Amino acid sequence: MVLTLYGFSLSTCTRRVAVVCKELGIPYEFVAVNLAVGEHKTPAYLEKQPFGQVPAIDDDGFKLYESRAIARYLAAKAGSPLFPISDPKKLAEFEVAASIEYSNFDPYASKIALEKVFKPLRGLATDEAVVAERLAGLTAKLEAYEVILGKQKYLAGDEVTLADLFHLPYGSVLVQAGVDIFSTPNVKRWWNDISSRPSWQAVKHSA
Amino acid sequence: MVLTIYGFAPTAGTRRITLICKELNIPYEFVVVDLAAGEHKTPAYLEKQPFGQVPAIDDGGFKLYESRAIGRYLAAKAGSPLLPNSDPKKLAEFEVAASIEYSNFDPFASKIAYEKVFKPVQGLATDEAVVAECLAALTAKLEIYEVILGKQKYLAGDKITLADFFHLPYGSILVQVGFDVFSTPNLKRWWNDISSRPSWQAVKDSA
Repeated sequence: MVLTLYGFSLSTCTRRVAVVCKELGIPYEFVAVNLAVGEHKTPAYLEKQPFGQVPAIDDDGFKLYESRAIARYLAAKAGSPLFPISDPKKLAEFEVAASIEYSNFDPYASKIALEKVFKPLRGLATDEAVVAERLAGLTAKLEAYEVILGKQKYLAGDEVTLADLFHLPYGSVLVQAGVDIFSTPNVKRWWNDISSRPSWQAVKHSA
Repeated sequence: MVLTIYGFAPTAGTRRITLICKELNIPYEFVVVDLAAGEHKTPAYLEKQPFGQVPAIDDGGFKLYESRAIGRYLAAKAGSPLLPNSDPKKLAEFEVAASIEYSNFDPFASKIAYEKVFKPVQGLATDEAVVAECLAALTAKLEIYEVILGKQKYLAGDKITLADFFHLPYGSILVQVGFDVFSTPNLKRWWNDISSRPSWQAVKDSA
């Protein structure tokens, strides 16, 4: 039975799962959850995802949510080096990189994306003070990325992992919105590398 | 060679890993990083942790940072069920729970802790509007925890995992500053369970 991915095709977190499926060659059936009409808050959807968020998956009856958890599950199932579980030290270094993404990138990038892109789409005004504060924070964090990526090709080491891919959705939203955050030499090299992968090209506009 | 932890005990990240060490009976040497003196921004410390944050570890020459990555590494090394990596589905469910902690709990809890505790310590004024907004958001998320914990004993299933433990540092700060966020029946049961464990009692006021 093919994997079912419930989500919203333009959602960052939904596309986080979609890019990993493409990368792993995992076919999936995409079932759109209509956020505009509040489908994500219906009892039927809350059965799949109790926080009422997208995405969620159903893998032949096994249900999961939280995009980064889903990605790890799929990569482990595929035995993919994107999630290097067989080597304890590589795995630990992967988990450092994965933690860097959600601690040092996501809180800033997601807030900037909300203010500059998603709020205007809903007719709400951008809070430029929040954007400025978050952008200053993100720029400082990316200075540390510049150091790390000067010593190794990717965030977890010299091979690409899920931790790199996890940056793609919000990173791309910001770039598309004209926020040029990946501008220093090593970060730029890394960003061009991961954002040009066919898997991302396949889903960057829609899951 | 004994594990070395570089940290500052009042911080959540540091106590997140001393807690795990106590739980797993891993001895450690604790080296204080003097945040007040800016030690975390010195070149010597940035070698250990390029973002200039605590904690960081040195395990016989193997260096890691990011508390949740360190927690996973130590649990895997100990073969502990706190990280159920021998069963792909249990591991996936653990990763869902771990993701819930950093997506749905940490952003709000850490912000409240920053405003109510860490800013005043530095002589900065608390922004009560931010506190109120985060508390409202956190309360809504914890309503979902109440649902999940009505079906199973812990966040990942019926066995305790790192995902439950990861909540202790910021959860405890919230309780200490007087926010009774774990008040509904299942949350209360779960919180009393995890916060009364000897491992937490051993480090909650220091490393």
